[in-house]
Amino acid sequence: MNTNLKISNVTKIYPGCVANDNVSLEFNSGKIYALLGENGAGKSTLVKILSGVIIPDEGEIYLNENNLKLNSPSDAKKNDIGMVFQHFNLFETLSVFENLIIDSDEQRESLREKIDTIMKKYNFSIDLDIPVLNLSAGQKQKVEIIRCLIRSPKVLIMDEPTSVLTEQETSELFLSLKKFSEEGILIIYITHKLKEVMQLCDEVAVMRRGKLVSVSEIKNENIESLANKMVGQNLKTIKKKKAKTSSDQLIKITNLNFTSEDPFETNLMDINFSVNRGECLGIAGISGNGQSELFQVLSGEIISEKNSIEFNKNYIGDLNPQERREYLMAFSPEDRLEQAAIPQMKIFENVALNNFKSSNFFNNGLINENKIKEHSKKIISDFNVNTENIELKSQFLSGGNLQKLIIGRELITSPDLLICFNPTWGLDVGAINYIHETLIKINQQNKSIILISTDTDELLKLSDKISVIHKGKLSKIMNAEEVTSEKLGILMGGAN
Amino acid sequence: MIIDINFIGLIIASIMASAVPLILASCGELITERSGVLNLGVEGMMIIGAISGFALMTVTGSLIIAIFGAMLAGVLISTIFAFLTQTLITNHVATGLALTIFGIGISAMIGKNFVGIPGKEFPVLFEGFKDTIPLLGPILFGHSIVFYFAFALPFITSYFLKKTKTGLIVRAVGDSPESASNQGINVRLVRYACILYGGAMSGLAGAYLSMIYTPQWIENMTGGRGWIALALVVFSTWNPIKILIGAMIFGGLTIIQFHMQAIGVRIPVQFLTALPYIVTIIVLVVISRDSRKIRLSTPSSLGKSFYKDN
Repeated sequence: MNTNLKISNVTKIYPGCVANDNVSLEFNSGKIYALLGENGAGKSTLVKILSGVIIPDEGEIYLNENNLKLNSPSDAKKNDIGMVFQHFNLFETLSVFENLIIDSDEQRESLREKIDTIMKKYNFSIDLDIPVLNLSAGQKQKVEIIRCLIRSPKVLIMDEPTSVLTEQETSELFLSLKKFSEEGILIIYITHKLKEVMQLCDEVAVMRRGKLVSVSEIKNENIESLANKMVGQNLKTIKKKKAKTSSDQLIKITNLNFTSEDPFETNLMDINFSVNRGECLGIAGISGNGQSELFQVLSGEIISEKNSIEFNKNYIGDLNPQERREYLMAFSPEDRLEQAAIPQMKIFENVALNNFKSSNFFNNGLINENKIKEHSKKIISDFNVNTENIELKSQFLSGGNLQKLIIGRELITSPDLLICFNPTWGLDVGAINYIHETLIKINQQNKSIILISTDTDELLKLSDKISVIHKGKLSKIMNAEEVTSEKLGILMGGAN
Repeated sequence: MIIDINFIGLIIASIMASAVPLILASCGELITERSGVLNLGVEGMMIIGAISGFALMTVTGSLIIAIFGAMLAGVLISTIFAFLTQTLITNHVATGLALTIFGIGISAMIGKNFVGIPGKEFPVLFEGFKDTIPLLGPILFGHSIVFYFAFALPFITSYFLKKTKTGLIVRAVGDSPESASNQGINVRLVRYACILYGGAMSGLAGAYLSMIYTPQWIENMTGGRGWIALALVVFSTWNPIKILIGAMIFGGLTIIQFHMQAIGVRIPVQFLTALPYIVTIIVLVVISRDSRKIRLSTPSSLGKSFYKDN
């Protein structure tokens, strides 16, 4: 049976921002549609309207010619529209089974059979009787998908589904989505990742600043053309010039070990490497292989033996992050809102946080607000942070702007070494490009970078040397030119 | 000295009777908290129930009107709490404390006219069977309907939460109101209902005190039982069956320390009076110390206001 979903002249206005400006789109089953756009382009608003979470100010939605009135999520469900949100809507302390049955009126026994059938059909294996909090992100997403499938939906909407998945889980997801599509479910796939659109989808609608800018077939597009439509300008492709080979060693790690008492952490075993001035060392790996522990050891969140880290001819293994900063190290942690900045504090307050010692910022224990504000304004203009208001709480900055602010905060002291962990995670193309350019610039100024990242493309683009971390052990260090993404993939899987 | 076996039965029965108001109020508060709402007004709602029950009994002469009136009074006062915390999104802790202070004050005011008036006798069930079985007879038979209801309540509550769809929805709302709302569950409605139910149970617990346990009105007669009920909920890790155990230990020690005081055991009175509080909490902490289970049974959104974003 054919499904036709039509969005007609939908508008949603928020104070100070038109989230959806007269958007009209038509979808037919049998195809996978991509809804592409940067953060804040309005695609999430549009799908929230389709799933009844947000009520549009104007416009209509038709499913197979029927005008739908979606005033709540349950209206969407009744009309066979299923939605998997980017942030899971699961109840962590309830069991998987309880999560699945909560919105259903059927008997528990018949539901269990139904769920078993679905899991068999699509090769999902999840223990139904354990609490959701014990599941991995990929498994949680499967629970969300099963929850939709129970209701045999006509439309399945996936909102940025791969942002929490490993590459393996992503390819599994794509297989499932293709299967659903063959079975006649209309799939709408929201993303800002161009590669995924090319890999998975048949048609693509691009949104920018609340407006629909284009609808086209994938076969007529390529990554560059989509990127340009999404950003609205021609993007330069960034290429790194090969750095001058320098033999001036900046940091040297010798026999570094870390043993954790927390069973969820990875132990680091016998880490040895060195980075020269002007070099970028990339550390690849599947997330959860010790990257976060390595970052913490390098930044001083975890203290190690004094002699294990030699920086600029000083032994600093036993120093804390603040003391390491005085030796001109700088850090950009993975979790922007929890580790790098304090969400409830204002921009300029966050700027002051990594610089307690600066006599500029504090006089006899009192905060010198004017100096800090001046400094913050400089960061905002130098690093292209898209806001005027330094009194804004950091949690209201978009991921890209927050990352620029953090990198800016770290760089303004002109450190010799920047250690960053997944600096472009979850950012849109424009912001990623900006961060990449900035990192390249650092190297050109003869300063060094340690880049821990799960994004192989990023690593190949920026690194001079690459190593792979697997189960807390580093592979040998390779020159970036000798490495391909296939080779990295094999090493990341643990093979030699 | 010959100890009459029925005398032991009577002591156990009196321990159970003293546990009744704790079980009722705790089980009510447990449902409220499972939906993510922290209502610290239990003491206030209990004392309102106590004066309402006693006053209605004196004025109307009807025990049925009095019991249901006390529950209704609990519902009404908890509606204030629900309106403030769920509609006006006030802070749960501050609002709950205010409710207790309000309840104690207003009950004392209304109660002025009822001090010294003797209560009525509350009918008991199965009186005749009391002597048929030694030991068990006095424990099982000859109690009020509220008594039997209280001892069934933890099991009903446990069944409700684990096995019914409504119970699942209550737990889901307490775990993540945002997710529940996105699933089409009316979070505010569920929380209102749970708060009002908690109010009804606290009202009933109060009425039990003033109409059945010690049938008279004394100012401030709940004497901190509302706070104990609250502590039982937390230290039982939101488990109704453990509430039953905790309430029995508390009731038992309260009765036993009375007897110890009466026979003149040479332990300072203050220590004896404090004993039930200390021991109950220690026992509950010990039986609930599995941190994984605590994580699973603690309502994640407890005490946090829910704003619907739209």
